[in-house]
Amino acid sequence: MTVQKSDLLQGTLDLLILKTVALGPVHGYGISQRIQQVSREALQVQQGSLYPALHRLEKRGWLQATWGESESGRQAKYYRLSAKGRKQLQIEESEWNRLSEAIGLVLRTAE
Amino acid sequence: MEWWKSLFRKRALDAQLDSELRFHIEELTEANIAAGLTPEEARRRAVLEFGGREQIKEELRDVHRVSIVEGSLANLKSAFRFIRKSPSFSITVILTLALGIGANSAVFSAIDGILLRPLPFPNGDQLMELRQYNPKTRSPRTRLAPVRLEDWNRMNSTFQAITGYYTEDNSETSGPLPEKVTQAFVTPRFLQVWGISPALGRDFTREEEHFGGPNAILISDRFWRRRFGADPNALGKKLRVNGFSSSIVGVMPASFLFPDRDVDLWSAVPPDAPIAQSREWTWYLAIGRLKPGVTLEQARANLATVQKQLGIAFPKTDADLIVAIEPLLGGSRTAIVSQLLTEVFVLALAGAGLGLVVANAASKVFRTLAADLPRIEEIGLNWRIVLYSLVCSVLATLICGLFPAICGTRRNVSSSLTQSSRTQVTTRNPLQWLLVGVQVALAVTLLAGAGLLLRSFQELGRVSPGFDASHVLTFHISASYAETADWKGLTQRIDRTIDSLGSLPGVETAATDGTLPGVPSHFQIELNFSEGQQDTERKIVAESRFVSPAYFATMRIPILSGELCRESPDSLKSINVMVNRSFANTYLGESTALGRHLQEVPISGLLPPGEIRGIVGDAREEGLHREPGPTVYWCTSASGPDPFYLIRTRTEPMAMAETVRQKIHEIEPARSVFNIAPLTDHLDEAFAENRLRTVLLAFFAATAVSLACVGLYGTLSYSVNVRRREVGLRLALGALQGQIVKQFLFQGLGVSFLGCVAGSVLAAAFARVLSGMLYGVSPTDVTTLLGVVVLVLGVAAVASLAPAIRAASVEPMQVLREE
Repeated sequence: MTVQKSDLLQGTLDLLILKTVALGPVHGYGISQRIQQVSREALQVQQGSLYPALHRLEKRGWLQATWGESESGRQAKYYRLSAKGRKQLQIEESEWNRLSEAIGLVLRTAE
Repeated sequence: MEWWKSLFRKRALDAQLDSELRFHIEELTEANIAAGLTPEEARRRAVLEFGGREQIKEELRDVHRVSIVEGSLANLKSAFRFIRKSPSFSITVILTLALGIGANSAVFSAIDGILLRPLPFPNGDQLMELRQYNPKTRSPRTRLAPVRLEDWNRMNSTFQAITGYYTEDNSETSGPLPEKVTQAFVTPRFLQVWGISPALGRDFTREEEHFGGPNAILISDRFWRRRFGADPNALGKKLRVNGFSSSIVGVMPASFLFPDRDVDLWSAVPPDAPIAQSREWTWYLAIGRLKPGVTLEQARANLATVQKQLGIAFPKTDADLIVAIEPLLGGSRTAIVSQLLTEVFVLALAGAGLGLVVANAASKVFRTLAADLPRIEEIGLNWRIVLYSLVCSVLATLICGLFPAICGTRRNVSSSLTQSSRTQVTTRNPLQWLLVGVQVALAVTLLAGAGLLLRSFQELGRVSPGFDASHVLTFHISASYAETADWKGLTQRIDRTIDSLGSLPGVETAATDGTLPGVPSHFQIELNFSEGQQDTERKIVAESRFVSPAYFATMRIPILSGELCRESPDSLKSINVMVNRSFANTYLGESTALGRHLQEVPISGLLPPGEIRGIVGDAREEGLHREPGPTVYWCTSASGPDPFYLIRTRTEPMAMAETVRQKIHEIEPARSVFNIAPLTDHLDEAFAENRLRTVLLAFFAATAVSLACVGLYGTLSYSVNVRRREVGLRLALGALQGQIVKQFLFQGLGVSFLGCVAGSVLAAAFARVLSGMLYGVSPTDVTTLLGVVVLVLGVAAVASLAPAIRAASVEPMQVLREE
């Protein structure tokens, strides 16, 4: 499954990014790799969606960016979660849980 | 701030985007190589997988670009939201700025027009006014004899040149009708001293400045346009003034208005003319141009030496004279600058005035009010004033905006405005209240000044002048000083004119007077009685007036004892005098005055001993604001070639103007009638300068009061807004509305009261400056000051009441719910 730009999934992509970044400072490439690995190749984030999302989140103050050296010795832009972003992550996580629970309820009732 | 940073850092941003994306592609390539692909293939795949790099960059730029528009829009939106939310505060700010800019601009336009634009002659600081001065006489300053002026010019070593001038109103008769012209008579070197040349044509030549040389004349730009329609061919044309024909040799620049703005012609007076040789003549006012680098003190010392030498050479006429030298422009200019700057300073402190439109209107008002100020027609709006206003508004914004922002608080202003203003309880804003207090204090100061001047006018209106100025028409009839060579003929000519005027239907009486009654002037001379023992201990000093016998009837000044004086056929041989009651009481005691003879000290030979024929009532002829002093009336119609003519009319005085003009044209076809005006106009004019001052001061005072009101209203409104929650709570807990109103009202009034106290102290100090212009009211008049304080407190109460009532009408439940 490919995460595309769409209204419904925009929030989902933001949630995925925030969750991934919560684990520690990471660059854009690392984020896309991690999402891919953790979802066991189920979710593939397009670069065309990832970077605009990163910059948007940075502008909202949920992410903070710094330049640093990567494992390969190149200059990379590292993103980390801000305090505001951590709060936002909690909100979005519980929203998601409520939503998926609700969807699960509907699906179970419809059985 | 965000948006302009990103504008400036557009390139830096692009570079960052580039390297961020490049890193991603390089990592992908590495991963592909690790998976076993050749470097070229690995890179190709990576680029392919990454997708449209430029497209992504464009999208990223969009993310940032949106912020620019969003940012400024958001700022604007929040600004408008703020204005909507606190209209009183916003209107306060807008009004304050508008008032300040307007008043400032108007005043600056006056300063700019009168003072800042360069004067039309070079090195004005070298120009000096020279006066001769005899400390031993009662009227020490006199005009200068032509020969002495030439002596000064020849013998001094500190002046480039010294020149002299006097003016006369004459008739120019080369046209179809005689035209009144103002003619300046100047000595050689006149233009040299000013450092200017004619705009057209040339200066006088040596021959024209010698007796018997050709008659030449310079004309003013105004006369040139009026008479010749600015035709360059006017040069060489002839004018006929006082019967003398002169050729026009030059046209002066429009900006040259010396000796005064009315001057039409300049003629050279040859210093070698036989008539100019007496050392006793008092003809000229003298001006000189210092040599470069010469100080005023050096010039004074130099001229003192020169005059000492003249005193040895001519002991009879020159020994007692002293030369006084003052800068021609310096003193008065500095005085005006400092006066106006003080006003501007007061305004700037008050932060006062109206918009540029108002400024335009105001400068028109100034122009009308101050018609007598120099260069008044140059007052108006121009780019300098607009620039000045812009600078003012920028400064006002910076000072008013930054100062409180920096000093007042350290918290984030925007967040407190947008989010948490309701939860803050700021009970005191000491800085704001201090500013309001200062505004009130300045308003009180200015109002007190205006009040004192107004009361002076009121007092002046109540004065009984001792003469009746209503229904009196005044005018001049052109004449030349040359006529004074034959006093007898001159007297006969003027008497004939008076008789003809007196017999006109509608005219009760006609008379002449050397100076206008009620218009401030001073001509004191020392006298003694020619018979009996001289009282050397006690000097007799009196104002001297030269009037025709009908003067007393015309001015309705009553004769208390004795009889009316008679005009003497030759006033150089014998003359009648009248004295006023004050003179009789001061100098004659109980002894009878009638029949005694008065003579001037020292004897000049121009006035014979005068026989006292009668005593008249006291009148305030030397100015309505002055108590009448001892006065002697010399009964001669010919005080000079052109005295003031006064006629008492049965109807409205100006209605007689045309009749008078026709009559004079009939009996004296070569003379013109000019300056026709009711006496009451002259009396008004004499106080025009004071009136202008009063109006200006009242204008500033009104501005200051408006500002103080606006400030008080705005600050109190703000305070009420901030404390709504507190008020709501107190109302919920049972406080009465009246108590709330009282609390806020007293807060406003308390600050105003302190302002009034400070203002009264300031006003008392300021009043000393005014004391010279006051009449019948003390500079520290308690009634005026009290009135002002009551007025300001009243206005302050009104300005405070609205916010106070609004505070009390807070709905407790609503406010608490808002929280």
